[in-house]
Amino acid sequence: MTFFTDAAAFLPVLLNGLQVSAILTLLSLLFGLPLAGVLAFGIMSKNRVARLIAIAIVEVGRGAPALVLLQLMYFGLPDVGITLSALASATVALTWTTAAYCAEYLRGGLSAVPAGEIEGSQALGMTTADTLRYIIIPQGWRIALPSLMGFAVILFQATSLAYTVTVQEMMSQAYSLGASTFKYLTVFVLAGLLYAVISIPATWLSVLLEKRMARHL
Amino acid sequence: MIENPQDRLPGRREVVRVRNLAKSFGENTVLSDVNLTVLEGTVTAMIGPSGAGKSTVLRCMNLLERPDSGTIEIDGHVIDAERRFSNRELFALRRSAGMVFQHFNLFPHMTVLRNVSLPQQRVLGRSKGEADERAMALLTRMGLADKGEQYPNRCSGGQQQRIAIARALALDPKVMLFDEPTSALDPEVGLEVLEVMKELAASGMTMIVVTHEMSFARSVSEDLIVMADGGIIEQGDPKRIMAEPSHPRTQEFLRAVLQR
Ligand SMILES: Nc1ncnc2c1ncn2[C@@H]1O[C@H](COP(=O)(O)OP(=O)(O)OP(=O)(O)O)[C@@H](O)[C@H]1O
Ligand SMILES: [Mg+2]
Repeated sequence: MTFFTDAAAFLPVLLNGLQVSAILTLLSLLFGLPLAGVLAFGIMSKNRVARLIAIAIVEVGRGAPALVLLQLMYFGLPDVGITLSALASATVALTWTTAAYCAEYLRGGLSAVPAGEIEGSQALGMTTADTLRYIIIPQGWRIALPSLMGFAVILFQATSLAYTVTVQEMMSQAYSLGASTFKYLTVFVLAGLLYAVISIPATWLSVLLEKRMARHL
Repeated sequence: MIENPQDRLPGRREVVRVRNLAKSFGENTVLSDVNLTVLEGTVTAMIGPSGAGKSTVLRCMNLLERPDSGTIEIDGHVIDAERRFSNRELFALRRSAGMVFQHFNLFPHMTVLRNVSLPQQRVLGRSKGEADERAMALLTRMGLADKGEQYPNRCSGGQQQRIAIARALALDPKVMLFDEPTSALDPEVGLEVLEVMKELAASGMTMIVVTHEMSFARSVSEDLIVMADGGIIEQGDPKRIMAEPSHPRTQEFLRAVLQR
């Protein structure tokens, strides 16, 4: 049963890496989601300049693979005099990806609020700001929530790409364990299991939440 | 024949005046030179074939649709479509008119009570306690006293429409605009809503009602407007028009509806 004895030895190291993966995920969501909200309104703005800027940021963020953005932030930015730590550059890159994808999900949710309800609100004499605050945003973000949660799971898995810019997350820990012990099979099976142990319940949670949220709609 | 309601019902104040209203969607001219006057405390029914422009007239009256030209006056608030107007003027006009839609347009993520209470707080600045109290009083009047904590989608269509009426009334509008309030409902359920509307009319509310309910138009309304092809072709005493319509289009329309 060498698998279990090896696994027991590897686990603490991998859990350290998992902690970094989780922190990177949370930081990217913390900065990315508010930015996504701003971008969603930017895309829907009547102001042409605001709209074009928002569309450009979103299209680059979705068009460029996360791996490219990671490399760009870590290896590219020093060329223009900006040097970020490994974790900071990974956070910036994944924040961009998060903001771009989630802006689209939020925009979709906000524009799915039925036009009749918006007219109902206007006919009552509610201001545009109040209509947004009480009618469009509370329903729009609920409509977007399942997609946002699905994205969070993918983001968590995508943090494994940060090993390419020397962030000490779980994948990079797995590599160094593998390189020093040559037990690659055990290490990567264990790493895969750890990703799954987080991702699968998170997916269940998002389905559950989707059902709860849909109750009154 | 177009009668001025003042000739038949003298001595009443004109609460609504629409003058020279015109509206096109692109190439499609939907309204041209619509003029109408509504007297305080009267019920005006509006009928006419599909596509005549009835909904568009109502929607122009509270600026859900921006007219191309013409003036709208409700309870002294005047908006000239060709001039710039401030948001303050727009909201003042909208506050003086309550609107009830064919598909209710309630807010599904809020309880029934909050549907009726929130607009009072945001639009009139009432306190939550005051707004809730008024909401409950209106819901009770609509026969919905036990529905306050329910969500709208759990209510029947007839109940939802009465909630929508309560929501509009809670803002103390001067005029109520109804756009086919019973068309999306089963006939029996529609009757509940018509009952509430009759009671509202009896209490002296000024109402404009777009409807296909000929018996409501005949028995409740004091004034009847017939629209066709983007204009008013006939206006006057409902009983007179239904008995002897003067315009051939009215004759044709009435024959079609009454034969159903
Ligand atoms: N937003 C819009 N964009 C383009 N055309 C429109 C719009 N709203 C209404 N129309 C057109 O305006 C005309 C009048 O429509 P309106 O809804 O006012 O008729 P209506 O008398 O209320 O008919 P119905 O009895 O079917 O409700 C129709 O030809 C319709 O296609
Ligand atoms: Mg209509």
